[in-house]
Amino acid sequence: MFLIELIASSLRMAVPIILTAIGAVYTERAGVVNIGLEGMMIVGSFWGALGSYYFGPYVGFLFAMAAGAFLALIHAIATVTFRVDQIVSGVALNILAYGSSRFLSQAFFKMATTTPHVNGLFKLKIPLLGETSPVIILALILVPVAGYILEKTVFGLRLRSVGENPLAADTLGINVFKMKYAGVIISGVLAGLAGAYLALEHTGMYVEGMTQGKGYIALAAMIFGNWTPKGALWASLLFGFAESLSFRVVQNAVIPYQFIKMIPYVLTLAVLAGVVRKSTPPAADGVPYERGTK
Amino acid sequence: MKRINVLILKIISPVLAIVVAAFLSSLVILSIGKNPLEVFYTMFRFSFRRLDSVAIIFYNSTPLIFSGLAVSIGFRMGLFNIGIEGQYLIGTFLAALAGFSLKGIPAVIHIPLVILSGIIGGMLWAYLPVYLKIKRGVHEVISTIMLNYISYSLIHFLISEVFLDRSQKLLIRTPKLLSTALIPKLHGLLALFGVNLPKHVYLNWFFPLGILLAFAVYYMLYYTPFGFELRCVGQNPDASRTAGINPEKVFYKGFLLSGAIAGLVGLSDLMGYFGYMDLDFPRGYGFDGIAVALIGQNSPFGIIAASILFGFLKRGAEGIQTLLNVPMDTIVILQALMILSIVVINKVMNDYIRRIERKGVA
Repeated sequence: MFLIELIASSLRMAVPIILTAIGAVYTERAGVVNIGLEGMMIVGSFWGALGSYYFGPYVGFLFAMAAGAFLALIHAIATVTFRVDQIVSGVALNILAYGSSRFLSQAFFKMATTTPHVNGLFKLKIPLLGETSPVIILALILVPVAGYILEKTVFGLRLRSVGENPLAADTLGINVFKMKYAGVIISGVLAGLAGAYLALEHTGMYVEGMTQGKGYIALAAMIFGNWTPKGALWASLLFGFAESLSFRVVQNAVIPYQFIKMIPYVLTLAVLAGVVRKSTPPAADGVPYERGTK
Repeated sequence: MKRINVLILKIISPVLAIVVAAFLSSLVILSIGKNPLEVFYTMFRFSFRRLDSVAIIFYNSTPLIFSGLAVSIGFRMGLFNIGIEGQYLIGTFLAALAGFSLKGIPAVIHIPLVILSGIIGGMLWAYLPVYLKIKRGVHEVISTIMLNYISYSLIHFLISEVFLDRSQKLLIRTPKLLSTALIPKLHGLLALFGVNLPKHVYLNWFFPLGILLAFAVYYMLYYTPFGFELRCVGQNPDASRTAGINPEKVFYKGFLLSGAIAGLVGLSDLMGYFGYMDLDFPRGYGFDGIAVALIGQNSPFGIIAASILFGFLKRGAEGIQTLLNVPMDTIVILQALMILSIVVINKVMNDYIRRIERKGVA
């Protein structure tokens, strides 16, 4: 029973990482590094809570995905059209997400760091897992769907070709810029969804800092999963497991809880230090594409 | 011709970026039903009408000078040190430790020892990411971000469990620094020039120290072999290797130098204002430093100017919050927009200049 409960809780913890990591696969396969995923998750959690507070959970999720997509659009304009440094743009977006959420939270709710309680979606009753958010099921469905789209469809092939060799793709008549925009925006939508899950399904409100670096951890999960949705799923589950295990250990309080809180971050470092050399990113990942240059 | 172009780029782009960012933030201010012009006017009036307010701007800018310099050294060699945040928290903690535990030494020795502890703390926290980068290929951006989170928990643990001031019943903080470990204010020096600052201003010697350090970094970059190597590696690591420079060695040294400067970021607040470290010790200077370095175009003197600008924004934000009830996070939005505008504008202007030059050749 304890084991089943642990697995269920790992899955619940892993969902935001899974969703964001799938998004990260899309954007990186299109050749754009998106470190702004953390910020897109933040705006997702805030706008999700805002939408749900005023119009109910469905609108909340819509708002969250739109907010994530909006930040992603800025990232795409900056990095694809203007070819600025992708890391710098991502960092700026994370600051923008943090600042704008505080600003709006103050303006709407007169509190900078939290919103009132908000409603989540209906719950599914699933044997063993108990009451389950439909977003969990959605995340699990999205993994094979993303795998199929990337590997088997024309869109996926084009997206990947742009990340591997944009010049060749351009020569074949593929609209490189459109593909890159698509990859980045999909990642923003998924990160926004992940943020809304945190606020609406997991906590029931928006709290500042509730993403706790999960956007970055999702990037690590994607790398650990070798830039594939399926790989990212297993890596995300590992991180979810570490987090849910840490809650169990806290209850026993053998180790100071501050050290338990470090586990996901230390695990990320360890995973990257041990594994990253074996995996291969898309050949043109992080390199802006400019027409007319070799 | 090229020199003039570069100069134009260096001066015009930050100015343009500030204007664009101010315009975009105006839309945000409008969205909550306030008048942007009134907001900006209040920021200026609140900040510059009184002498003590101007001194507070310099005090605000002090940590940012160090933070901006630390970030810029990373940028110069093509590395991105997002870990200033963690590095200065660890540095501040070690400095606090030296400040309250070393007893019975005169201030002339104690203050340098405290500063040195801060430097060591920053370097310590910078060592791991550069080691992981060179030995294991871990991208420094992810590793420094992870180390930031780890430092938050570690500091929390050290302050609330190990070095808690037990004489305090309610507050969770370290013991107070000894009086020999506190940095003197600038009041005495300024009084010599007939400028008398009131007591509630905490402007201290770290401000001139930061400016001196900016000069030192400038000298290092342009007049020492290491500075040359640093800039070469930043321009092109492969070509540098061919030219006999070992990029890994430069990365190590440069990153540790960046960490050392990062270790100083929190000291003006620690030794000049709080006198102890608690769980609410100011955070975010590391991220401000990124904006400062970009607006300052990675030039040490540009960084001084950008730091003072940000010091003004922080002061002005207090004004608009108290007087107009506009959330002070407006300036966080403004800063983020400044980062985005400056990189976009730089890129566009660079491309433009390159195109003109190409035409000139043809």
